[in-house]
Amino acid sequence: MKFSVNWLREFVDLPKNAEEIAELLTRAGVETENIEARGAKIEKVIVAQITASSQHPNANRLTVCEVDDGSGTKRQIVCGATNYKVGDKVPLALPSAVLPNGLQIRKSKLRGVESEGMLCSPIELGLGEDASGLLILSSDAKIGAPIVDLFPGDTILDVEITPNRGDLLSHFGLAREIAALTGNKLRRAAKFDGAPGGRTLARGVRISAPRECPFYSAWKIDNVTVGPSPDWLRARIESVGIRSINNIVDISNFVMLELGQPTHAFDADKLKGGINVRIAREGEKFLALDGNNYSLTSENLVIADEERAIAIGGVMGGEETGVTESTRNILLESAYFLPATVRRMARNLNLPSDASYRFERGVDPQMILRASQRASELIREIADGNPAKEIAAAGELPANPADVSLDYNKCDQVLGIAIKSKTVDEILERFGLSKGEIRNQRKSETSTWEIPSYRRDLQRDVDLIEEVVRAYGVQKIAGTDRSRFTASSMADRWYDLESALRNGLLTRGFAEVRTSKLIPRHSIASGENAIKVRNPLSEDHVALRPSLLLGLLAVLDRNMRAGTEHVAIFELGRVFVPPTGKEERHFAILLWGNATGAPHWRTQTKRRLDFFDLKGAIASLPIKSLSFRRIENRNFALATEIRSEEQVIGVGGQLPALCTPALETPGSVLFAELQADLVLEEQKSAKTFREIERFPTVTRDIAMIVPEKMSHAEVLRAIEEPREPLLESVQLFDLFESQDGIAPGTFGKSLAYRLTYRDKNRTLTNEEVTVAHAKIRERLKRELSVTLRE
Amino acid sequence: MHPLEQLRDDALRDIESARDEQALEATRVKYLGRSGSVSSWGEQMKTLGKEERPIVGKLLNETRNAVAAAIEQRAGKLRSQKETEALEKIDISLPGTPSERGSLHPLTQMLDRSIDIFRRMGFALADGPDIDDEWHCFDALNTPPEHPARNEQDTFYLPDGRLLRTHTSTVQIRAMQAAPPPMRVIAPGSCYRRDEVDATHSAQFHQIEGLYVDEKVSVADLKGTLEFFMREIFGPDTLVQFRPHFFPFTEPSLEVYVKSKALKGGEQWIEVAGCGMVHPAVFEAVNKARGDKAYDPEKWTGFAFGLGMDRLAMILFDIPDVRLFAQNDLRFLRQFA
Repeated sequence: MKFSVNWLREFVDLPKNAEEIAELLTRAGVETENIEARGAKIEKVIVAQITASSQHPNANRLTVCEVDDGSGTKRQIVCGATNYKVGDKVPLALPSAVLPNGLQIRKSKLRGVESEGMLCSPIELGLGEDASGLLILSSDAKIGAPIVDLFPGDTILDVEITPNRGDLLSHFGLAREIAALTGNKLRRAAKFDGAPGGRTLARGVRISAPRECPFYSAWKIDNVTVGPSPDWLRARIESVGIRSINNIVDISNFVMLELGQPTHAFDADKLKGGINVRIAREGEKFLALDGNNYSLTSENLVIADEERAIAIGGVMGGEETGVTESTRNILLESAYFLPATVRRMARNLNLPSDASYRFERGVDPQMILRASQRASELIREIADGNPAKEIAAAGELPANPADVSLDYNKCDQVLGIAIKSKTVDEILERFGLSKGEIRNQRKSETSTWEIPSYRRDLQRDVDLIEEVVRAYGVQKIAGTDRSRFTASSMADRWYDLESALRNGLLTRGFAEVRTSKLIPRHSIASGENAIKVRNPLSEDHVALRPSLLLGLLAVLDRNMRAGTEHVAIFELGRVFVPPTGKEERHFAILLWGNATGAPHWRTQTKRRLDFFDLKGAIASLPIKSLSFRRIENRNFALATEIRSEEQVIGVGGQLPALCTPALETPGSVLFAELQADLVLEEQKSAKTFREIERFPTVTRDIAMIVPEKMSHAEVLRAIEEPREPLLESVQLFDLFESQDGIAPGTFGKSLAYRLTYRDKNRTLTNEEVTVAHAKIRERLKRELSVTLRE
Repeated sequence: MHPLEQLRDDALRDIESARDEQALEATRVKYLGRSGSVSSWGEQMKTLGKEERPIVGKLLNETRNAVAAAIEQRAGKLRSQKETEALEKIDISLPGTPSERGSLHPLTQMLDRSIDIFRRMGFALADGPDIDDEWHCFDALNTPPEHPARNEQDTFYLPDGRLLRTHTSTVQIRAMQAAPPPMRVIAPGSCYRRDEVDATHSAQFHQIEGLYVDEKVSVADLKGTLEFFMREIFGPDTLVQFRPHFFPFTEPSLEVYVKSKALKGGEQWIEVAGCGMVHPAVFEAVNKARGDKAYDPEKWTGFAFGLGMDRLAMILFDIPDVRLFAQNDLRFLRQFA
């Protein structure tokens, strides 16, 4: 909310500069978000009267005005606004004036017509936010007088009021807080104390919904003259961003800004019979002041006359019964509406207002009638109104908040420092609390506190402790060290395993990515099953990702567009499996592009990444008994199941060309997604030591020509099963395939394997290796009918 | 001088003057080869008298050893000379063989650093689901329906009525439901806000929640913990300020600001966290769900905090736009390798 420093000063002495006020409030938890100086520097801007106006000869949107600046000679000004009429008094910036926005005014020609200055809008003078037209001054403004006389300099504080502090949503309320924090005296408090002088409450309104509206009052004020507000009133409300409408509406807004209690004025002559505060009928129509028609439900509370709803309680008045220039008699409403009801209504109707904002945070019951008193006084003064002797009212004001007990020891204990009970008392008393009985229980001392009506947020001891620390200063509490031994949790172990997994791929040159868990509409349009959110805000965040695929493809797309030639990325994160949204931790790898980065003198051959790079990356992961099995999968052109000890833990392969981003994509996109939970599960068992081999190995190679269709796995099985006891490992070290066959008259491929033999207890002799090796060669010839090459 | 001594000196001179390995080999053959001049002395020995033989034998041995050693030494020298000549030709300004280094996402780095620090202070990790219910996200956190702070507008809901958690504070409740006090945990995780996306707001972001419940935990402990954390993250000269604020689930509630010359805009206080003392109503809600009085607010107090990881990473790495995190441009990611 915006606060005028001048206005605050009416109630309390303030530190000299605005920064100090902001610091004081911020330290006490009332954060000042912005400080804006207004009006102070408008020199050479004076009051002028428009005496004639004609269309600009060369521009449709401009007019040429003749103005009286009090000097005796008329001035000619070219003007773009349309909201004035001849006879209006307006601010005139004279040549050489510099406006707060930095604009320097010069005598100049606009579209061929001389202009000797500029007529100004409120925003151009830094007097408000209205940029829609000229600032029309009141008719009693003195021609030629400096504008500064009408609008003395002010500073506007933009203060963030937290939802628990509805009592600060007024100048009086914030001044009361500042008085408590500084110890300065709160002025004019008494003026707003006590019931409206000389008025009695009478029947005349009916409350049919006492839970939603515990108290309602309506004060008839006759013979008002509706018209523009005086300059001071207008300046006040406009300075904090409220537009001036007419004197009655402005007074209502002024009182709300001053005291925090929203009031509303109805045109009394447009009401049919007495007021009834009731629940709306299902489907009841209501035309609100914002010009929109609302269809109401039994969720809504309305103020009604005998025929129709005339206001939505605490939210907005009706268009038909609003105050207009022809209004003669008014009915001034001041009431207490249940915060929860107002909040629900404002939200469901999507109709937040300054009034609902305050009602839903809870207004001060003790301020309700004081506010009508203040408004009626102003209406009498400014609009010549004649308030009735009696105020029609019904219901009961909400009771004062319950007393709260505070144990001084608990205060010390929660804050971690010792504060004298006398200091605690002083602070609480400054905030308007009054101390009741004191009880001494064994070691501790407890006091009971009466809570002021405007501090419903103070409900238990910790709330009072907060008040103490706000005023005492958090900065006076020295931080302490409370170390404690804590056993690691399941989540700790998962975190460590995840880190190890990430680091594994990091060393292989992969970049980690983190994509959004919310995915756009277009990615689920293709029939992808995903949990959708009920209330998306934009097309970019519509559903929860069912897998990591879409996110990684989007990253690939972005980086291909950026011209990269090598993409090796991975992500580890949660996915949400339809239809229940079960959360699983997944781990995905995506590869595309050149096997190496930019061309380099050491790596002459340029190779594209392929399926085997993906397979190798997966094999580098700590997965027990890893195996792959070819499958059909609609997401892949070439797919393999990834298994660990015969359990399927993921799927990978080459994506079909269609699925790859809409770009020229030379080379294949390789992708694999694994269930990280299953991968990580394996890692929990500790590794154990295995003796390092002491005896040397003997290696022998076998080269062979095999039919094209024969797989490496088949050859390997023939070599390894049954296992020769001396055979330690087998490595494929050469593969040559050719369309034309590898030698004249042969069709197939050439494979070469290196076999490594070792006995872990002794050095092998050449002879025994030869025997073992011969057995394997025989087996290959016999079982696979391959041609061995010498 | 004995002729053998003369022979030895000649040999050593020849060895020393051998220019390359071939010349050295020729020299070796000349003296030590089967019919080399040193070897042929072995034949001559047989002709010597009984008295002379051991003396000359000894001399011959010495000569043979000296020549062999000199050859060995000269060979070593020639080898290293040859190596030096070969290496001298190498242009060491040529670029090294590339070895690709991977990179951790800056948010992961931020999370890792943060988690490390809290673990040193004795916090264990806790976890909870991204999809949660209104009770864990609001009601149990002292934010009943119709509370002005219950911002359903800013919350993503699923068709079945569940929601995407708006803060990691849900894990406070889940951790306390699962185990009695004392409790000292942090919970890193994703949160979601139905907010217009711009340079400082994203629909999905990352937080670390902290919760410490014990006997006599105080605001002083809370301050000590977060001051330590902030100085570990932003450097020992970091100034930390706590300002009263409002959150429904803590009382008192505080916002944490830091100021450090090491950071860009070092003269500004920057908001980095929200925290406070766990509200007794939160303990009461947990007790009700547990069906016991494990978290008796008269016996236990606690503090809680929430740290925005995206925001901290932006401050620490001087990243201007939060959207960069989700875009994963490799030119961005590689900067943090």
